[in-house]
Amino acid sequence: MTSLLPDELVHELMAVGQVDVLVGIPTLNNAATIGQVVKAVHHAFGRYCSRERTVLINCDGGSEDGTRAIVRDLSMDEADTLTLRHSLRTMHRISTPYHGVPGKGSALRQIFAAADLLQAGAVAVLDPDVTSVTPEWIEALVRPVRAKQFDFIAPIYARHPLEGPLVSQLVRPLARAAYGWQIAEPQAAEFGCSGRFAAHCLDQPVWDTPLAQVGLDIWLTGEAVSRGFRCAQAPLGPRTVAPGPLRPGLAETFTQVVGSLFACLEQQAPFWLGRQGSEALPAIGPPLTLPVDAPAIDGERLLQSFGTNLVDLQAILDTILGPDTHAALSATAQQPPPRLHFSDELWVATVYQFLAAHHEGVMRRDHVTQALLPLYLGRAGSFVMQHAGSDPAQIDAALDALSAAFERAKPSLVQRWTGTT
Amino acid sequence: MEPRLPGESRPDWYKDAIFYQLHVKTFCDSDGDGVGDFKGLSTKLDYVQALGVDCLWLLPMYPSPFRDDGYDIADYCSIHPSYGTMDDFRAFLEAAHARGMRVITELVVNHTSDQHAWFQEARSSRDHPRRDWYVWSDTDDRYDLVRIIFVDTERSNWAWDPGTKQYYWHRFFSHQPDLNYDNPAVREEMWNVMKFWLDIGVDGFRVDAVPYLIERDGTSCENLPETHDVLKFLRRRLDEHYTGKVLLAEANQWPEDVRHYFGDGDEFHMAFHFPLMPRMFMALRLEDRKPLVEIVERTPAIPESSQWGIFLRNHDELTLEMVSDVERAYMYDEYAMDPVARINVGIRRRLAPLLEGDRRRIELMNGILMSMPGSPFLYYGDEIGMGDNIYLGDRNGVRTPMQWSGGWNAGFSSADPERLAQPLISNAMYGYQAVNVEAQRRADHSLLNWTRRLIQARKSTPVFSRGEITFLKPVNHRVLAFLRTLEREQVLVVCNLAGTAQAVQLDLKAYAGALPIEMFGKSVFPRIGEGPYVLTLGPYDFYWFKLRRL
Repeated sequence: MTSLLPDELVHELMAVGQVDVLVGIPTLNNAATIGQVVKAVHHAFGRYCSRERTVLINCDGGSEDGTRAIVRDLSMDEADTLTLRHSLRTMHRISTPYHGVPGKGSALRQIFAAADLLQAGAVAVLDPDVTSVTPEWIEALVRPVRAKQFDFIAPIYARHPLEGPLVSQLVRPLARAAYGWQIAEPQAAEFGCSGRFAAHCLDQPVWDTPLAQVGLDIWLTGEAVSRGFRCAQAPLGPRTVAPGPLRPGLAETFTQVVGSLFACLEQQAPFWLGRQGSEALPAIGPPLTLPVDAPAIDGERLLQSFGTNLVDLQAILDTILGPDTHAALSATAQQPPPRLHFSDELWVATVYQFLAAHHEGVMRRDHVTQALLPLYLGRAGSFVMQHAGSDPAQIDAALDALSAAFERAKPSLVQRWTGTT
Repeated sequence: MEPRLPGESRPDWYKDAIFYQLHVKTFCDSDGDGVGDFKGLSTKLDYVQALGVDCLWLLPMYPSPFRDDGYDIADYCSIHPSYGTMDDFRAFLEAAHARGMRVITELVVNHTSDQHAWFQEARSSRDHPRRDWYVWSDTDDRYDLVRIIFVDTERSNWAWDPGTKQYYWHRFFSHQPDLNYDNPAVREEMWNVMKFWLDIGVDGFRVDAVPYLIERDGTSCENLPETHDVLKFLRRRLDEHYTGKVLLAEANQWPEDVRHYFGDGDEFHMAFHFPLMPRMFMALRLEDRKPLVEIVERTPAIPESSQWGIFLRNHDELTLEMVSDVERAYMYDEYAMDPVARINVGIRRRLAPLLEGDRRRIELMNGILMSMPGSPFLYYGDEIGMGDNIYLGDRNGVRTPMQWSGGWNAGFSSADPERLAQPLISNAMYGYQAVNVEAQRRADHSLLNWTRRLIQARKSTPVFSRGEITFLKPVNHRVLAFLRTLEREQVLVVCNLAGTAQAVQLDLKAYAGALPIEMFGKSVFPRIGEGPYVLTLGPYDFYWFKLRRL
């Protein structure tokens, strides 16, 4: 049996000993950006964790661009050194390869295993290619755990309400209705957690499933809120990601995200089926200033894709959707793009019927999620065009109304779900 | 003629010496008046000698109104009557020398008591010839960049003299006016004071508060070049007339600033390393060598003839002036949660209470002290783990009578207890019935006897006093490891700063083939090879290994 922690890493961890704060960074060929992330972590240790025992652990999936060397050898310039002097303690920095299936799951499992071995008080995990990370991010993710005994901290990013439609139209409202918690970013690469939560996750049978490689972010959120851990959110700031060749296209991203979300809901159903309504998850930290400029999204182009693909998917949609919903979608698709209105209710009914179909296994599950993509494009395009002239507050209100629609319709989902189990 | 004192033929004897700081007032009372005296101290010289001490440092023994425990000197060339006579002092000095121990005394150069005749004359009239021996001003806003040192008691560095209607300058208490070293007559007179004592036979001076001798507008009035000129003048005179004497600077500054007090070997022979002390305590509490290694590595090289004075505790508060705000807050939180324990910018506690009476930590801290570069200074009573009394006011709580026995007044005095110069420590943990020399002498494993053995081990090799230090930096930050090297001699020191057992891998391949021999038990450890050298240490354990090529 391969051990989660190779001997060489164990030797390093033994020397580190018990820690108060562990920051984990999974990497794979992130040489261009990892340096500034490491610096941010060290500044955070210096500024905010001056008395605490700290370690940065980089778990690398076999980078060939010198990522690990940068993590290991990054030296601090004079200004950095002054800041670092504020830390009373040695700041440990470890870079280690992980073995097993390449992907975030293997890296995160190793980070959690290290946290468990070191009895870490708080853990923060960062994406290696986020260029907007600041020391304050780490503090925001860690402090609620250290000072207020929270177990899981989801981030809040400063983004325009039209940015990230996959999250705002699908992931966020569905997660809110299902889990009963209002979470701004249910699927985020950055998070903070307690050592207790890390140890819990380590014991779950998720690590050898596909979910571990592509859907762990949302699984962690779901696990935290559905298993009774104390959860909160931390406002971080704008999130900017460096462009890279490894970024998947829309279709792949959509399938991964939605497939993961559906799989999580499947796995965690016993914990959310009985929950009604939703509660706000506390946000700890000063509120963010949101950008006022809307992102450039071509709503009309999204709608074109919707109309074309709807026709091609008739047979599949017949299997997944009820006749009323299918008919309403067809009628919606026939409207000319400028006037096309994809209503909240229709979108909620569509998503719930796809989720139920996924649960029931009416066809291969990846086919179910793939078939949802054109419908999502229709809904997203409609929403963007409808709110092209709206201010952020109006858009926020519309998104909140969408979430409320998901909550209202949840009993129909639960009824169908439980009726088949 | 044979040298009378060890190393007498070596003028730099202080580099190898163990110093022992004591207060005559509270060490031993021979005449039952409740105040320690030189006759009493003389009866205890065998004890100090047996401990392995090479040099005694006496707190001020001059006539004084005692508003700052003698640091307010009213007459530089006499002995305070409570401590005895000049003859008593001479007899003590001779007895110490006969036992191979030297004696240095306190020399408060920066200021006098306001009761000193010099100041009384100076304040008698603006026209008095001694007027210019002190620093006067019509206003109290000169030198406004200068910090106040005794922040708990003073609001200004100027005090009003109603008689002559001018302000006088004082860096410490307002009853301690600063001397004016811009006046050559003052320098000359201070040299005469030194000469007076050197001619009697004292072996040097611990020179108090040296950074503050000269004032200049627009500066902090600390560490000024003109101050160094004054000190170089005194050193020059010393070298012209005497050999084998030592000047030790009290300059509570950063190492790079203190470095200037060594000059080119033409200013002080020794200077205290103040920033090292709090960082030893910090490293222990943090269980992390970082603060200690950082400050040692930040310490500049000093001239060949010079030496650092290093200490864990002394008669003052555990000063936190030379630490950052973050570090100071940490030290207060960890070592002085009770605000009564805080005074000025520091903590008024003795070694044992600071370490919660934990014998393992007391040993470790002494082990680190004795292996660091510099000459160690022990504070009287710490060798038996004496406690303190933070409720006594000022810093008197760490200056209570030496606890010689569990009998009447701890064997310090035959006076009625109410008459003692300071009350005894009498609580259950540190009281004289529990902590005293007599009891510890009998127990082979007492702290007293352990300290004696530690000093013996330290003095078994010159590597600690004169060698270079090189830190090993194993990944385990709880382990402090370093090599002391002098020519072909090497000692490896490994300390576990943690209260839990630790394993450590040391990179010693440069010493491959050497046999580590533990210096206390003489146990031979496995030969060093090319690979990592693995050691395990119990909580707060430390090892000193001589590395032998056998």
